[in-house]
Amino acid sequence: MFGFDSIDIFIQVLINGILFGTMYGIAALGLSLIFGTMQIIFIAQGVMIVLGAYGAFWLFNLLGVDPYLSIVIVVPGAMLFGAGVYQLLFRKISGRGEAGKAASLLLAFGLMSLLENLMTVLWTPNTRAIRTGYTAFGFDFLGINFSFTRLMAFIMAVAATILVTLFLKKTMLGKAVRAASENLESATLVGITPHKVNTITFAIGIGLAGLAGIATATTYSFDPYFGFIFSLKAMIALALGGMGSIFGALAGGILLGVIESIGAFIWTGGWADVLSYGVFLMVLLFKPEGLFTRTSINVVKP
Amino acid sequence: MINQRQILACTILITALACVPMVLDAETNYFVYYLFMAFTYAAMAQGFNIIAGYTGQVSLGQHAFFGLGAYVTVFAWEFAGLEYFNPLAMILSGLVPAILAILIGLPLLSKLRGDYFSLGTLGLGEILRVIFIQGRAVTGGSMGKYLPSGSYTSMLPYYFTALFLAVLATVIVYLIVRSRIGLALIAIREDETAAAANGIHVLLYKLFAFSTGAFITGLCGSLQAYYLFHIHPQNFFGLSWTLFPILMCVLGGSGTFAGPIIGALALSGVFELAKIWLPGIHPIISGTLIIIAILFLPDGLIRLKFKGIISKNRAGQT
Repeated sequence: MFGFDSIDIFIQVLINGILFGTMYGIAALGLSLIFGTMQIIFIAQGVMIVLGAYGAFWLFNLLGVDPYLSIVIVVPGAMLFGAGVYQLLFRKISGRGEAGKAASLLLAFGLMSLLENLMTVLWTPNTRAIRTGYTAFGFDFLGINFSFTRLMAFIMAVAATILVTLFLKKTMLGKAVRAASENLESATLVGITPHKVNTITFAIGIGLAGLAGIATATTYSFDPYFGFIFSLKAMIALALGGMGSIFGALAGGILLGVIESIGAFIWTGGWADVLSYGVFLMVLLFKPEGLFTRTSINVVKP
Repeated sequence: MINQRQILACTILITALACVPMVLDAETNYFVYYLFMAFTYAAMAQGFNIIAGYTGQVSLGQHAFFGLGAYVTVFAWEFAGLEYFNPLAMILSGLVPAILAILIGLPLLSKLRGDYFSLGTLGLGEILRVIFIQGRAVTGGSMGKYLPSGSYTSMLPYYFTALFLAVLATVIVYLIVRSRIGLALIAIREDETAAAANGIHVLLYKLFAFSTGAFITGLCGSLQAYYLFHIHPQNFFGLSWTLFPILMCVLGGSGTFAGPIIGALALSGVFELAKIWLPGIHPIISGTLIIIAILFLPDGLIRLKFKGIISKNRAGQT
């Protein structure tokens, strides 16, 4: 079937896809949070991931900090950066209605272009990768090979999703974020400050991008221009999973990873991209509320 | 409506621009090249203006139409024998992207809210890029295609065609906006539900604006193909062909006739000067400029200086 010699190879491809897709999942999770409260698609997310990857890379190469230990530096740093980006750039145009949404899309576009080129100039466009003692390490389980770094990425993604869910469900701040994404006006009426909520979601969203960056840096090689592709992939994952849904984002990312992995196995790598964009367009066309959500979004009828 | 004096001013401006190659040496002078690029960008910015500035649908897939226009030009030469600067080839290069815009816009614009439309068009550009890279012998793969024959002879045809395209795009936008169609487009931008309630066929008008923008963008792609002779996917489907026109349109003032032209002239100047004086870091400047423009000049350069005139015109429109 489709050139799979045995069920073992199929399962191997499937597992690789799942482990690969979790990274899209973490990125999509951040996008989903920001979309939930601000109703904008933050297309600079991928650049933030690359920035996080560079953070882990330089910490490892200059200071010898283990990539997994660098989580405690990179993620808080990314959260601060995210809060700063909101306060400096997006605060001014949030709450301008439809015009503000178009403006923030363009603003994110500008931020992406700026950071991408800044990284190119500062750190050269050379491809980078972190090589530790365990980069090539993998182990066999029931005849399936698991790569250690990819498995760690998967664990990080699941842990991040659980933490974010706990934050949203159990803490007062998290409840405020959820209230604001349900209905901003009513949330404002009961005393929730939109700017505060937006700052928190931006901090968490970019923090998640930093985490995805570490996962990327340990697993793959990257360069400054990697970010745009990553943004696109995160958006596809978001569209597959349904905007504003936490587990949907992770599930969408994993589904995208599986689609790409199987596509790349059947055809060559380049066509796999066409497949994932094709699925993306199909989902946008036929099920714009996402595959993993039950409630239908308010689509405008002509 | 514009008055006699404004028509006269426009005529003088266009004539003056047409006379530039007679004063300066077109083959060696950098200023002529700068104007050539500025006109191309102005036309593309008008293409974005009609869909985003007037209709309020932010398309991030303009580079898809640009690249497609360029490839159609090459194919028209290779397979149909429509050679160098054949008007038919150029019109075809505009029509094919326009048809694609209708095909892709039909589902994207009918069901989806604004953000999804932006995402879908962004995805469209990526799909086309990958398809043209993977197209092997037909599209030349990642190496792209060369025009079958011919070589660079003079800057003049490029200069005048670019000027013509910029004027054409502006006239198209002007004619549309000053007609019933334009009123419908602006109504859709301001409030889609209210527009639909007033009997405006929202999808039809959105499609019209989207495909008109694609047509103009495709023409620009065709001209660049003739200029560079070598079309390869990474350049012609590059995101900067979406980014720069958007930037020029927003910086100049989207939703106005003159805004995109002012933006194109100003920003092309900044880019060219940055290329000379700050080689290597000029892309950083474009990103910074977008951010500054959005934050501090949300209405564009044009409304900064001519605030009085614009508000008077706007009052007349509504």
